[in-house]
Amino acid sequence: MIRYLLRRAGTAVVTLFLASIAVFLGVRALPGDPATVLAGESPTPEAVAAIRQQFGLDQPLPVQYLHYVTQALEGNLGSSTQDKAPVTHILAERLPVTLELTVLAMVVGIAVGMLAGIVAAVRRGTALDYAANAFGLFGLSIPHFWLGLLGIVVFSVHWHVLPASGFVGFADDPAGNLERMVMPVLVLGTGLAAVIMRQTRSSLLGQLSADYVRTARSKGMSGLGQLGHALRNSLTTVTTVVGLQLAGLISGAVITEQIFVIPGFGKLIVDGVSSRNYPVIQGAVLVTVTGYVLVNLLVDVAYAYLDPRLRTAGAPE
Amino acid sequence: MRRRTYRAGAATAAALLLASCSTPGSGSAPEASPNTLVVSTPTEPDSLDPTLANTFAARLVFTSFCEKLYDVDSDLKIVPQLAAALPRVSRDGRTMDIVLRRGVRFNDGTPFTAAAVKTTLDRDLTMKASARAGELSAISRVEVRDPTTVRLVLKHPSAPLLAQLADRSGLIMSPTALKRLGADFGTAPVCVGPFKFRDRVSGNEMDFVKSTDYYDADKVRLNGIRYEFITNSSVATANLESGDVDAAEHIDANDAITLRGESGTRVLHSDTIAYQSISINVRPGAGTALSRSAGLRKAFEMSIDRGALNTSVWKSQNVPDCGPLPAQSPLRVRPHCTPYDPAAARALVRKSGVRSPAVQLMVPTGAATQREAQVIQSMAQDVGFKVSVRPIDLVSGLDLARNGKFDAFLEGWSGRVDPDGDTNDIITTGGSNNFSGYSDRTVDSLIARAAATNDDRQRSRLYARAVRRVGEQRPLLYLYHNRWFTGTSAKLHGVVYQPDGIPRFKTAHLAR
Repeated sequence: MIRYLLRRAGTAVVTLFLASIAVFLGVRALPGDPATVLAGESPTPEAVAAIRQQFGLDQPLPVQYLHYVTQALEGNLGSSTQDKAPVTHILAERLPVTLELTVLAMVVGIAVGMLAGIVAAVRRGTALDYAANAFGLFGLSIPHFWLGLLGIVVFSVHWHVLPASGFVGFADDPAGNLERMVMPVLVLGTGLAAVIMRQTRSSLLGQLSADYVRTARSKGMSGLGQLGHALRNSLTTVTTVVGLQLAGLISGAVITEQIFVIPGFGKLIVDGVSSRNYPVIQGAVLVTVTGYVLVNLLVDVAYAYLDPRLRTAGAPE
Repeated sequence: MRRRTYRAGAATAAALLLASCSTPGSGSAPEASPNTLVVSTPTEPDSLDPTLANTFAARLVFTSFCEKLYDVDSDLKIVPQLAAALPRVSRDGRTMDIVLRRGVRFNDGTPFTAAAVKTTLDRDLTMKASARAGELSAISRVEVRDPTTVRLVLKHPSAPLLAQLADRSGLIMSPTALKRLGADFGTAPVCVGPFKFRDRVSGNEMDFVKSTDYYDADKVRLNGIRYEFITNSSVATANLESGDVDAAEHIDANDAITLRGESGTRVLHSDTIAYQSISINVRPGAGTALSRSAGLRKAFEMSIDRGALNTSVWKSQNVPDCGPLPAQSPLRVRPHCTPYDPAAARALVRKSGVRSPAVQLMVPTGAATQREAQVIQSMAQDVGFKVSVRPIDLVSGLDLARNGKFDAFLEGWSGRVDPDGDTNDIITTGGSNNFSGYSDRTVDSLIARAAATNDDRQRSRLYARAVRRVGEQRPLLYLYHNRWFTGTSAKLHGVVYQPDGIPRFKTAHLAR
């Protein structure tokens, strides 16, 4: 198990290194550079040159990359070209916001999706199954942007029961925080719930018709007991899907944060790309990639926990 | 299952705990204090340092906390703001004496003096990466004549300089704050203004509170103003309708029309100095059909029905035009427009000998501008052009345009009070916004001469000649001047919306 974890951790480090190069080069491959953007509507060559020098953009790419990596290893991700705020400070402000949004959306998505999936599997072919499938189709096909706007129009403009947008820290105002999170979490969680519902349903149906469940049933095990066994075995697939959906959740957060004016990571990346804010884009993407790699590492560990066969040394590859 | 339930609960709790550890705006009031105006703007300002600021959004925010030596009125006339009167210009046009208002204090309580004006202008002229240096390049040196009089000694007469002092180059900063913050002035800017800076949450909002040091504080009835950045016009409109914001600045024409039918909201509009145009790449080596043939450029312009474009895309809300100077400009001479004439356009295309001349129309992403490009595409295809629309993000589009890697580029210009800002640098040789790559010695000379004289009648004639010549050679096709909209709550009164497209909230108040 330890060797397995070490191997996985080593792969994660290499992935992060390659990601840092990809992000560094990818950002610079975009047409337009921060110096021209910062020099404004009528950029003079002198102003552009001065800004290039100020941010080290006049250096050769390998030098820029080395500087960036050296700084990053020391915990310094540079300063925003827009307002000169340290990127680490900006990320520290934004990360908890997106984490709150995505974790709450994930909790809602998992709870609703699994419940609907279980009901659909157990009551296969009934009205409940059809309703759950309809929900799944709705959740998969509805764009976040449209659902968000619909929510604002219904709950904020017409019914005045929820604020249309904005964010307030949980420490400042817990009730206000949760009130403002209701719509974004539901919007972001709907797609995830739909995917989990469909996955849970199909996986559970497969397990419920497996030999070991039939044997348990013939030996007189209660329906709930059979469901418990089948559900535990179907969780491996569902866990994989949840891990894979994290990337979708983060990209969904980009749109959700734009609609609900939430100062999170997604909005930061979009604004960063619009202004070619290299340090902010690099920092945000690197942290996102790190998060994604870590979650996948945790998913691998969860596999080993859920499937006893994987705990034996060297088994999982 | 129970263990997993606990874990899910623990994950939620951890997320909330993380969210409470460090969140944007932590420590600031979650709700705006009573009588604080909440304004949404579609873009976030860049730096709040007047020497470095470059975005239109920054100009918008500056009106609330940073006054200029001069301002413009509703007729685009320049009027004194921190200056006591219009400047005295010497007969040879080489010195400009500016007398300042007396008894004015910066928002840190320090006095506003001629020395402070000199400190600001010297910084604008000399700071590395200054965005103002070019605008003030006519200034040779700044002299303090007495505590309330500053003299600008010019290298040559410069008519546009006054208009620059009514824009960002006229914003005056507190020398005390400059000394304390240096290059970081933009993180806690201090100027003269009805409100003073309190806080900025990057990417989200900016907060200002009423200044007690302001010379005109009696007219300020709000306790504060908060700018929130809401990119999408429909979302901003929904926020206005729900009461989450009191004013939604620069909303789309379609949203403005929707709002007009709603109770509880109003729509202010401004016929602005901003304009929309199509830059055509006319660089000698461009190799495109339009670059090679003036006749095809004429045909392309003749295929565009400006009125129909305005009606179909903008619900007739803009002002069709074929020149850069707005109707309010005292220097404008009505330009001669190429009429919409599809039959003549078809004949010109046939005459060119090019079968289905191809045009790639580059357009910044955005629903309305893409609709506009599609309408132009349809009109031009009717007369024989083969037009493809290429949506692109604005920064990439500007980069390609400046490097001459395009056929035609549909884009806007926020406009300037003085015609120099709408022509120089845009249609002059080597200008940073001369996307067309147009170069004409006559036009360069006309615009340079217009900038060097203070005689308005002469300037007007020179600009008319330059615009006419550009109209004949067509490196740029002007389409219309923009009408901009600000949606407000019906409770909001006292907003002044000028032709520069910037709403002023100094005298605004919220009725109970």
